[in-house]
Amino acid sequence: MATILADNIISPLGSTTQANCQAIRSGKTALRHFSSGTDIRVPFPFTAALFSEEQKRAFAIDGYTPFESLAITSIRETLTTCQIPMDQRTCLLISSTKHEGPLAAQRIAQAVGIITIPIIVCNACISGVSALILADRLIEMQRYDYVIVCGLDLQTTFIMSGFHSLKALSPNECRPFDLERTGLNLGEAAATVILGKKPKKGAWYILASAVRNDAYHSSSPSPKGEGCRMAIEAVMSPAEQPALINAHGTATLYNDQMEARAISQSGLSRIPVNALKGYFGHTMGAAGILETIITMHSLDNQTIIGTRGFEELGVSGNINIIRDNTPTDKTSFLKIISGFGGCNAAIHIAKKLPPLKSKDNENKDRQILHRIVITPKKVQIDNETIDTKGQEGKDLLTHLYKTRINDYPRFYKMDALARLGFVATELLLQKEKETQGQQEHPQRAVIFCNESSSVNADRTFLATISSPENFFPSPSAFVYTLPNIANAEVAIRNQYHGETAFYILPHQDENIMQMLAEATMQDPFNKDLISGWLECKDEDHFQATLTLTTTH
Amino acid sequence: MEELILELKKEIIKVLNLEDMTPEDIDSQAPLFGAGGLGLDSIDVLELIVLLEKHYGIRLANAAEGKKIFTNMENIARYVSENRKR
Repeated sequence: MATILADNIISPLGSTTQANCQAIRSGKTALRHFSSGTDIRVPFPFTAALFSEEQKRAFAIDGYTPFESLAITSIRETLTTCQIPMDQRTCLLISSTKHEGPLAAQRIAQAVGIITIPIIVCNACISGVSALILADRLIEMQRYDYVIVCGLDLQTTFIMSGFHSLKALSPNECRPFDLERTGLNLGEAAATVILGKKPKKGAWYILASAVRNDAYHSSSPSPKGEGCRMAIEAVMSPAEQPALINAHGTATLYNDQMEARAISQSGLSRIPVNALKGYFGHTMGAAGILETIITMHSLDNQTIIGTRGFEELGVSGNINIIRDNTPTDKTSFLKIISGFGGCNAAIHIAKKLPPLKSKDNENKDRQILHRIVITPKKVQIDNETIDTKGQEGKDLLTHLYKTRINDYPRFYKMDALARLGFVATELLLQKEKETQGQQEHPQRAVIFCNESSSVNADRTFLATISSPENFFPSPSAFVYTLPNIANAEVAIRNQYHGETAFYILPHQDENIMQMLAEATMQDPFNKDLISGWLECKDEDHFQATLTLTTTH
Repeated sequence: MEELILELKKEIIKVLNLEDMTPEDIDSQAPLFGAGGLGLDSIDVLELIVLLEKHYGIRLANAAEGKKIFTNMENIARYVSENRKR
């Protein structure tokens, strides 16, 4: 259980939580139509929620990039209302889908006085909620007393082109859950919360949380909404009566349909549902945190914010979308979110202390079953070195695939990072099969860490948008610019529905990776775990060090 | 038409990374999606849309339009020959 102590939102609608709440309560939106005049160079008009030049100047800090400045400003603003000790017991999580890497995270941490190593949570669209969940667990595990979670993303030609290639953008203001919805709008924002271990009068608490994978497709949600339903069911029973479900509601055809189905299948059809993308657009790494903050504050004001853009129900499944601001006296809600890589998260937040958790899971005996190391020149499983027949680098991975796997042509569609994760996991699982026999493991989790994120895939995608004359953004290349697609490939291949997450660290820090593995196992659904370092600088420079850990 | 079909097969093998496949392996009348075909998915549809724009100047608005055309190689070739801008 963690207590939410303070928060801040910086969006085009304002630079405090209060300003943002007031703006949307009166129906304002940050969405604007652009056909030119922004730094985003794309050959099509779009609607987005972007900071104005004036707003960018307001949060700019000398010597820091706009991304760093935005994070530092939001964190400092949050700290003005909540003083916390900056010692070994305080940590920073940055949630971002297109972050500037671990060095930027360290510069942000240092600028606000954090002395511990910051962790970037890079888990596609669910990053924000993933980071809140990790923060809650780190406090529950007594690893830290305070965790600052800052989610942010700024929009670029890169991101806009990618979503365009996926035909996911609406040229007009988005319309979540509506019959006429045609896609999403991208948005810029930072959202920060400080979580602590001690209860505080009138505060909000994280009661329960879960991350589940669809194990269906790298970029489309399961049409049945399976992962989303599993995440919801893990945190809330149909008997509960929260004020609302704050949905992801991106206004793409597939996302909203999937969420509607998951909500109705979970037996929560009667609960009011809203979505906030009509005010802020899809703010990516900030979204899960921003929408959680807005929902907490609107319930503090006894209001469910209406779903801007929604008129007529355009999803099948019996759900109760709230169109206009509606009064409520309830003080708990469910936040759900889903993203590329088939990941889905649900978090139950309430203004009351949760019941004491049983500590069963902590006493479980964990055992590392197998370990694999793959470098461009060497493959070692447990203590046995594999003869690689002189193959090296990129060719080594293809060689391993052809000689030891060879029944999954999708391998050739993967980028280098996903290929590495796939081959390393396959060899690890072959070892498991030898010793344990063939078994299904639907509750297995897959957690990867690295320092270069998706740098190789980013270069591949950039090459497809290099100039206005040669602007043909590749949808498949864009999908792999999210590192957690590597987790998805493993989950899909093996039908794992456990948690999937990707974390970025400044270096291969075994202590932090151990901590992240333990945090994952806090959810008893995650019975066993494939985890470790999965780094790929380019097609010929990579390293995988993965372990398979089980509980008994 | 045969020439265009062969050209399209080569391009599709390249952009969709259908490693280990040759144009001869793709039956011009066999379905491209679903079981029994090449097993292409929704991202492949979008990638084929990019291919048509890049090589033939054909712009498709959405994936649904693409799926109607990308049924088999013969249909794609027919559509390209009727609509190509270059």
